[in-house]
Amino acid sequence: MTEMLIKNSFVFDPLNGINGEKMDIAIKDGKIIESVNDRSAKIIDATGLTVMPGAVDIHTHIAGGEVNTGRMIRPEDHIKDVVRKTALTRSGTGYSIPSTFVTGYRYSKMGYTTVMNPSMAPLGAKHTHEELNDIPLLDKASYPLLGDWWFVLEYLQKGDLDGCARHVAWMMETTKGYAIKIVNPGGLESWGFGRNVHSIDDPVPNFGITPREIICGLAKVNKMLNLPHSIHLHTNNLGIPGNYVTTLETMKALESVATEGKPVCHITHLQFSSFAGDNWGNMRSAAEEISKYINAHNHMTFDMGQIIFTDTTTMTADGPFEYTLYQLSGHKWVNSDVETETSGGIIPMRYKRKSAVNATQWSIGLELALLVKDPWKMFMTTDHPNAGPFFKYPKIIAWLTSRKARMATLKKCHKKAQRKSLLPSINRELSLYELAIVTRAGQAKALGLKDKGHLGVGADADVAIYNINPEKLDIAQKYKTARRAFGNAAYTIKDGIVVVKDGEVVQHVDGKTMWLDVEASEELKVDEDMKRKFKQYWTVEYENYPVFDHYVKISDPITVKASV
Amino acid sequence: MIVLTPLKKFQFPVQAENISPDVFQGKSVKKIASLTVWEGNKQKKLGDLFKIEETPAEAPDITINGDASEVRRVGQGMKTGEIIINGNAGMHLGEKMAGGKITVNGNASGWTGSSMKKGLIEIHGDASDYLASPYRGSSEGMRGGKIVVDGNVGSDSGCYLRGGEIIIKGNSGPFLGFHISKGAIYVEKNAGPRLGANMTGGKIIVSGVVEDLMPTFTVDGVKKKAKVDDDLKVEGPFYVFLGDLAEHGNGKLFISQPSNPQLGPIYDKYL
Amino acid sequence: MINAVTCPICGCLCDDIEVTVVNNEVVKIKNGCAVCEAKYLGYKSAHRIKQPLIRKDGKLVPVSMDEAIHKAGEILADANYPILYGWSSTNCEAQRVGVELAEEVGGVLDNTAVVCHGPSLLGTQEVGIPTSTLGQIRHRADVIIYWGCDPWSAHPRHLERYTSFTEGRFEDSEWKAYLNKVKASAGRKKLLSAQRRKEPKKQHATAAESVVFNKPPETLQKEGRKLIVVDVRKSMSAEMADYFIQVQPNKDYELMQAMRALVRDEELDVDQVAGVPVKYLREVVDVLVNCNFGVIFFGMGLTHSAGKFRNIEVAITLTRDLNMRTKFLIMPMRGHFNVSGANIVFAWQSGYPFGVDFSLGYPRYNPGETTSMDILLRGESDAALVIASDPGATFPKRAIQSLVKHPLIVIDPHMNATAMLGDVVFPSAFVGIEEEGTAYRMDNVPLPLKKVVEPPKGVLSDEAILKRILKEVRLIKSQKTNQKTEAA
Repeated sequence: MTEMLIKNSFVFDPLNGINGEKMDIAIKDGKIIESVNDRSAKIIDATGLTVMPGAVDIHTHIAGGEVNTGRMIRPEDHIKDVVRKTALTRSGTGYSIPSTFVTGYRYSKMGYTTVMNPSMAPLGAKHTHEELNDIPLLDKASYPLLGDWWFVLEYLQKGDLDGCARHVAWMMETTKGYAIKIVNPGGLESWGFGRNVHSIDDPVPNFGITPREIICGLAKVNKMLNLPHSIHLHTNNLGIPGNYVTTLETMKALESVATEGKPVCHITHLQFSSFAGDNWGNMRSAAEEISKYINAHNHMTFDMGQIIFTDTTTMTADGPFEYTLYQLSGHKWVNSDVETETSGGIIPMRYKRKSAVNATQWSIGLELALLVKDPWKMFMTTDHPNAGPFFKYPKIIAWLTSRKARMATLKKCHKKAQRKSLLPSINRELSLYELAIVTRAGQAKALGLKDKGHLGVGADADVAIYNINPEKLDIAQKYKTARRAFGNAAYTIKDGIVVVKDGEVVQHVDGKTMWLDVEASEELKVDEDMKRKFKQYWTVEYENYPVFDHYVKISDPITVKASV
Repeated sequence: MIVLTPLKKFQFPVQAENISPDVFQGKSVKKIASLTVWEGNKQKKLGDLFKIEETPAEAPDITINGDASEVRRVGQGMKTGEIIINGNAGMHLGEKMAGGKITVNGNASGWTGSSMKKGLIEIHGDASDYLASPYRGSSEGMRGGKIVVDGNVGSDSGCYLRGGEIIIKGNSGPFLGFHISKGAIYVEKNAGPRLGANMTGGKIIVSGVVEDLMPTFTVDGVKKKAKVDDDLKVEGPFYVFLGDLAEHGNGKLFISQPSNPQLGPIYDKYL
Repeated sequence: MINAVTCPICGCLCDDIEVTVVNNEVVKIKNGCAVCEAKYLGYKSAHRIKQPLIRKDGKLVPVSMDEAIHKAGEILADANYPILYGWSSTNCEAQRVGVELAEEVGGVLDNTAVVCHGPSLLGTQEVGIPTSTLGQIRHRADVIIYWGCDPWSAHPRHLERYTSFTEGRFEDSEWKAYLNKVKASAGRKKLLSAQRRKEPKKQHATAAESVVFNKPPETLQKEGRKLIVVDVRKSMSAEMADYFIQVQPNKDYELMQAMRALVRDEELDVDQVAGVPVKYLREVVDVLVNCNFGVIFFGMGLTHSAGKFRNIEVAITLTRDLNMRTKFLIMPMRGHFNVSGANIVFAWQSGYPFGVDFSLGYPRYNPGETTSMDILLRGESDAALVIASDPGATFPKRAIQSLVKHPLIVIDPHMNATAMLGDVVFPSAFVGIEEEGTAYRMDNVPLPLKKVVEPPKGVLSDEAILKRILKEVRLIKSQKTNQKTEAA
């Protein structure tokens, strides 16, 4: 394989403490190495450019049954955003739910090299992997939904953590998953009969367990299994005014599981879980309350779920919440419950500046990101496509790094939201170093991806080079230039190969699918008893349930030694 | 005026959104002839498919002489100017039109005037299905302007209408005015089944026979006349129905009493 | 014996079939329904195509694979508006190549949904769809409605695997109650028959009338799962139902819209809708509103009768409105075993589920404009590739005439009606018997298909044939481009 040398750029590599130093980056055989031979290596002259590790997205709905149903029901979303076939790239469509090839191209054009699909119904895991295979230029992984899985509910209710852990380990391998995903725990099983839970101590009908018990139980199981990421949680009462109380209770409940200062839980799209007030009329931001807690505790990480003012599509496993959105909007509504495992829903949503609620939501995401002091705790996402399409990320980068950009947008918002917003009093602007944390280093660290998110020796050679000269360009002032630069990478390098140049795809690579090969000391015995139970619970045969090896085009199993 | 004459009978669909007064404006015949047009999967130039001539006449801006039934998207999004088609017109004629006038001396195909905003479309023959109706999955119906059809229209026309008028001098197919919320539709002759299904507002006036009135409309009275717009008032008497009840709708159906004696036995007792 | 085999016939995609193979032949099937057995025991029929064929001087003659591939490649590379149709009886692996091929040749990619559940997809594009996987029905449903479909005939194991006659976590099987009812009905029939023999001149009630028919739904007051069938005639499934509603043909839309109004507590002016008295309808709506978990399964009775996709739309909005009061879901009874798979694969790669037109270099979708049937009726296409389907048997005459007017490539295991009309014909292996792969069930659950026997010698898989055609098309096109640049 080729050697490559990126010369003379401003490097931002927070995991290795590098803050804009002028350095060379040497690459060989798809990995970062100490140095290469100038004469034989391919030289990329990056003088005056910014180099960061390839970006990492910890939470983006890009593959699987739910995403695809979203695509199928929104032809009117696709016609406005068409992508022509070229000699090198396949055709496709956007807008809020791009087709698979387009997803890969657009992420790569922004310098992204690793993406995590956060919601995979185990029964449909094969589908998720088939779609991931068709997303080029990126490494990817997927999180199986386990928070309402009947086995989890039953074993936790019995207090059998070991049994639960063994089942979770089996499920992680069977679905070729990467992390334990929990959505509105208890709410999804309740939604099986059209009900929901309304607090973390609300018992789940027919199962006699509470969301608190599910969250803490799985957090403990996660530790027992030594999984690289913490549990990944979409809180109860998401999207309901006043829900910040539930979010605080959830975080407090997890204090007891926390040890050694390592995060035990990641709350995703926190914006949706940070509403104060008690109805849509008086709904306001609880970013102050939430960030205060986060600043005082170290056992959690979060991602923003930042609103973009556009016409997008919401899709989550939170079936009851999606139905609530239907009741509010009257838009076309998909419900997609999955036997034994989870629920789901899809509904188009337009976020408007002139909607007081939407504008407040927009403000909340940014308030959270800027009020939380430690950038290693709070990452940039839109929960694509729920709060907005991922290719609008450069807008968020501008809002995070430029007060001027934020105020320009705030001025166009509904007056009520302007009055309530905390943004006028916030002067903080993220530096390029901090930006590198919230878009790559921090995300990779929280995910436990040792070879991603940094440019130290041994890291995967996933590099993003942007047209930004930190000595000449003030990104806080010239935010539109910065936006353009982050939207069209000068170079994106994947495994040591230039795949994007000047915002255009120049080479195809497949990217690999990462998953956990969990080695427990006592493997789950899949005996006749388990198989019988399996037949009772699901409508497919046990033998046909797993994601077989051939479903993953390029497989990257990560061995995990469990303590159980 | 630019006159376009098809050079042959087109077998493959021709995508011709460049045939529009806005696009032609200020361009020489040579420039117009080099405009992109697609025939099947081949990209061509307008001059490859049409004979293009310029005449000194001021209006209309564009005349198409001949069978243009495979020529699609003519006048799409146009804001000003006039197009006359002396022949049959293809799909998506005047789609998202924002002004100006289109006349078809022949029949029109599907999705004519789809999501129209402003302007006037006159079809002297029949119109096909989805007249003025929006694209799949969209509820952005026609919001202004006027469409007049001398002949019949097909199914699912005027869906999601939210402004403007559609006047049909012949018969209409099923689902006319589906989910109409505002605006007016007038059918001089007979209306097909499922008239005004899911209606939430607006009005549909029918002077002929209504085939199978939806059971989710309730009779509200009888009116002597019905107004289509400021220029057109129609003589009744009309039954006035409110609905669609399945949507708690406030739409109105004006259905000719003399043409529909079959309604008497069911509804007269409520009057 | 091979366990857990997934049957490649209908949308039930039963994956518990046990296949016994001796000397590369299937000799026994266990657990499958009659249709499954028929396919597994009958796939080696005399109608298997054994070699690639090309029509020369009006007759199909055997040729080498290379010759056939080259001819197919030429046809597609030259075409101005080709159609690539079918896809529903093959695996996702082949469907993927299909998308790439359609994109490469700038053609229209379409599947059998266009004659089947296309209207259902159109309906969901208008209003979404509250649905689930089949296991949710099995565990929770206490009201099961089959509307405009006859699972007894078309999806034989549907009730025993997924609905009324299966054990769920929260609901029991109604199988015993049904057997008792059948015994009682058989007894009644015997009695009536004896009466008729005794008094041949007297007018007797027929057996048909003695079953619940257009009477108030008292039978729906029972405990346990309730089965309702709505159809224009008393199908075999209707015989099993606890309540049968005979709807007037082409009036399903009115019936469902009226039910929607009743769910919303509106008063109707009329006394009957679609032949059903409104007072009975109110009682039925009461049952629906008061159940724990209801589900509607629907089929061609709705997609093919007047209203088409609006019928599905109103069925979905009825289901959606019922969610104001209880839990209610709806699901289409997909026909072919991988018709869902084709829609799913097309959608993730292009954004659209069928009728995908690549002629402008990017995917476009507008049923009525970009669907194969309509293109054929207007005579717009100039070549076609048909795979894993039989439009020669199912399309209207005018469409078939259009199909044969231009070069036609057919890929199929059998010399079916379409193959007999083809210009280039490729024999392919039976997916699910001779070729493995992935298929999607009617509820969009992916399942693996097994290969249980070897295909006949020289017969390739759909995927392999398509890949070769794609390669040939690219070669021909690049040669053409080289010729052009040389000439310039």
